Amino acid sequence: MRRSVQPIDDEDDNEVNLTPMLDVVFIMLIFFIVTASFIKEAGLDVNRPDAPETNEPTDNLSIIVNLTERNEIEIGGRVIDPRAVRANIERLHAEDPSAPVVIRPHIKSKNELLIQVMDSSRQAGVYNISLTDPIGG
Amino acid sequence: MRKNHAAEQEEADEINLTPMLDVVFIMLIFFIVTASFIKQPGVDVTRTDAWTAVKMPKANILIAITEGDEIWIDKKKVDPRSVREKVEQLLAENPKGEVVIQADNESTHETLTIVMEACKKAGVGNVAISTSEV
Repeated sequence: MRRSVQPIDDEDDNEVNLTPMLDVVFIMLIFFIVTASFIKEAGLDVNRPDAPETNEPTDNLSIIVNLTERNEIEIGGRVIDPRAVRANIERLHAEDPSAPVVIRPHIKSKNELLIQVMDSSRQAGVYNISLTDPIGG
Repeated sequence: MRKNHAAEQEEADEINLTPMLDVVFIMLIFFIVTASFIKQPGVDVTRTDAWTAVKMPKANILIAITEGDEIWIDKKKVDPRSVREKVEQLLAENPKGEVVIQADNESTHETLTIVMEACKKAGVGNVAISTSEV
């Protein structure tokens, strides 16, 4: 009787108790699940020319878009509806496919306008967009 | 002999934890690897829709500009003059971080310029403006 029971008891004692490790692993798992953020940021890259001489774009080849204090978009001296920016840039892009878009914002212009112009330009196929130092600063 | 049989029965009743442990470990490793610890700016901004927006999976430093042209980083309002310091500090913690500016629709370009200049001075190469996807 004794002989038959003894080996089983012994085997039970030899087995490592996994419970504390399981506790720790579960706590770590819960911590990482809770702190996981999964942020999906979407955005547009902006690059500003480094050289200060690009402050006043004299290059006739670039498509210059002015954003005025009153939140209007100006291309070539004409005020343009935000929905028509894409068509205008497309036309100018067709005239000179190598021309980059240069945006000259006023300091009081809203950022919404800037993003709209950048987006329109990218939709028109011009991905070379640069931003000058703001006017009125 | 009867007792032995009972002990065997008990052992068979015990649940085998090994497959569950495997699954738990794989989940743990997944969450450790994907953990990014992004410091949220802590304010809600109204973003502009953009059709050509690109996903920024490496965005780690988030700077928000609110409607009233306040700058928020890591749930704190930051003075325009100390944005550079703050960005440098965050960049030191996360050298590969990309900066994403969450600029509100109604915020002015002046504040955006201040933030972009500060990022440039802090040594950030790539700055993006956050938009909402259409």
